Amino acid sequence: MASISVRRLSKELTEIKSEGCPVGITLVKADDFSTWWFTIEVMGESLYQGEKYTLQFRFDSSYPISSPAVQFVVTDGHTSPIHPHVYSNGHICASILGNEWSPVLSVVAVCVTLQSMLASCKKKERPADNDRYVRSAPENPKKTRFHYDGKALSPIPHQYWI
Amino acid sequence: MDRRIKSPQIPTVNDLRVKLCYICREEEHYDAPPEDPPRAWTHPCTCTLVAHEGCLLRWIQTSQGDTARAPNALKCPQCGTRYELVSHRPKILRLLGAGNGVLQRVGRLITLCGAAGVVAVFASGIYVVLTAYGAWAIKQFLGEEMFDVLLTDNPANWPWTTFINLPSIPLSLILSRFQTPALIPSLVPILLVWPPAPPIKYRLGSTSALTDLRLQYGAADTINSKLWTWPPTPAIFGFVVVPIVRVVYRRLWTRLQVWALGAQPPSARVAAARMGGGGVNAAWEGWPVVIRIRANIIGEDGRGQGQAQVQGQEQQRQQEGEEGQEQPAPAGAEVPEQEQALAAAEQHISISASSLGRRLGGALLIPYISSRMGWLLLSLSRHSHILRRILAVRPPLSVQGTMRWPYGISPGEWEDLGPLRQVQKALGLVWRASWRGTRTWAEADPVWWRNAIGLGLFVVAKDCVELLHLWLATRELESRHVKNRDFAGVDIRELDLVPGFSPRGQSPAQMQARAQSLPRGL
Repeated sequence: MASISVRRLSKELTEIKSEGCPVGITLVKADDFSTWWFTIEVMGESLYQGEKYTLQFRFDSSYPISSPAVQFVVTDGHTSPIHPHVYSNGHICASILGNEWSPVLSVVAVCVTLQSMLASCKKKERPADNDRYVRSAPENPKKTRFHYDGKALSPIPHQYWI
Repeated sequence: MDRRIKSPQIPTVNDLRVKLCYICREEEHYDAPPEDPPRAWTHPCTCTLVAHEGCLLRWIQTSQGDTARAPNALKCPQCGTRYELVSHRPKILRLLGAGNGVLQRVGRLITLCGAAGVVAVFASGIYVVLTAYGAWAIKQFLGEEMFDVLLTDNPANWPWTTFINLPSIPLSLILSRFQTPALIPSLVPILLVWPPAPPIKYRLGSTSALTDLRLQYGAADTINSKLWTWPPTPAIFGFVVVPIVRVVYRRLWTRLQVWALGAQPPSARVAAARMGGGGVNAAWEGWPVVIRIRANIIGEDGRGQGQAQVQGQEQQRQQEGEEGQEQPAPAGAEVPEQEQALAAAEQHISISASSLGRRLGGALLIPYISSRMGWLLLSLSRHSHILRRILAVRPPLSVQGTMRWPYGISPGEWEDLGPLRQVQKALGLVWRASWRGTRTWAEADPVWWRNAIGLGLFVVAKDCVELLHLWLATRELESRHVKNRDFAGVDIRELDLVPGFSPRGQSPAQMQARAQSLPRGL
């Protein structure tokens, strides 16, 4: 019997393939159940109009009990969006990826949340401690204990909850 | 099935047609054959989310193990309802849990106390050393007799103020060395605090605060009421004589420097500029008097800037083996040649002088030096009547036999005064005592006086030696030139010599012959 993470991910993948992703989100690669890539772009008027970013999800065997490791891809010509909660190495300071992760969330829900995080941005700038963080950041963003200021993200849109 | 019969109106999780676990996302249809082994379902909150009990318990357990997530562990992510856990928790488990919590808090407290203890031990160690140094300094400066009268070797006799005064002595000595100009002359605290202090002997015998006050300060009443006495009272000396002497000495010293060196040393000018252009040198409180500040001496008039560059160059020159004195310094072109040499010489001397240890040691040795200088003056005074008068040498109190009960007013007189008059009198006595010291102080051999004079003489001597050093070093730099050698050891044929040159011992003919035998072309 496959592990919980594989069974749940295969269900999520089936759903994505049958129902498609929300507008602005595209599945790029999901060859196995450890790393998935998506592209996201912000629809409508925003500071990131016309820009496309690549998101990487990494899952361990206890997903969805443990949160996925989510970051923007910054290699091979990809860049991370300039945003007060996104570091230049692609790491994202978002509470739903840390202490507010819940198994009720899904890969698509995370994508949508990050999309709305970009959409609601008022000013394109890096986090204040970007240089210091990037210099000493661990490879896996889950190993960083981010301090969430509470206003990091808008609430998760309900329609993406199961 | 039983439940449905008992509460037909309200459905439960088991009444759902399709159950979808919000954690693992597996579904179960009511008509599908049950899993093997069957998994229990739960609906723990007030919204529509349901889950396998096993999945939910695993989620809760994992979240509770993570401090950041623990607050949300028992909360439904959708409706926020708190999950209720039912478990078998016997009293003994709860008791053990509570005990563990208490122990944890106690442990934290012990850690905190331990850290505080280490800091306290360290601090009190420093404090003890400072206090011991202060006591030693008092003994050195006021003399052993006054030390025994005022403090004694037994700290149990010391009044509580001593434990603030003594440690502050080394601190003020050191601080005075790191300020230009020093704000607190190093010895003034000693001179101001101790004279009004009552002798230990009487202080210990006194019973009430009021008697205490009367005993201590009554003395001032009976001793001469003249304000100017010889030697001056410590307070007048500290407040009036020392500042005047300092200002006069600095003026004179600046003139002497200019006369001897042709200009003030750069560091002295810097010190003067820092003091607001008073043209004085920080002189009194320590002897290595000139405190060098090299990093930020950029003057307002640009002259200081040139100076700084000259100094920088000199430093480099020193590193490179002191060549190039003849080269005019391009940046310091406006600085006269003589001053350049002076700056260089001072730099040369001060490189070794500004070390931290030298300053600290110098500051902390002040009491010892003044004591030795005082002793030297005392020895000299045996041969000079005038010196003896100047130093106001008196026999020790023990020899005088006049360690008298320092009453100012007789007890009867005191009682006759009204309370208001008593307070007035007491305040008057305190005021006078702080200016003149107690009777004991007035009658004792003024060791502090000759020590202060000795220290002053030492400062002057030290300044003179330093000036001499600076003068000689400046002269050395100014007189410096490269030693000329002849061409001994160099083959004479390799030199293009003037036609008339004729080396001794060789006739021009011989030379010509030798020259012809060699190939041409040099």
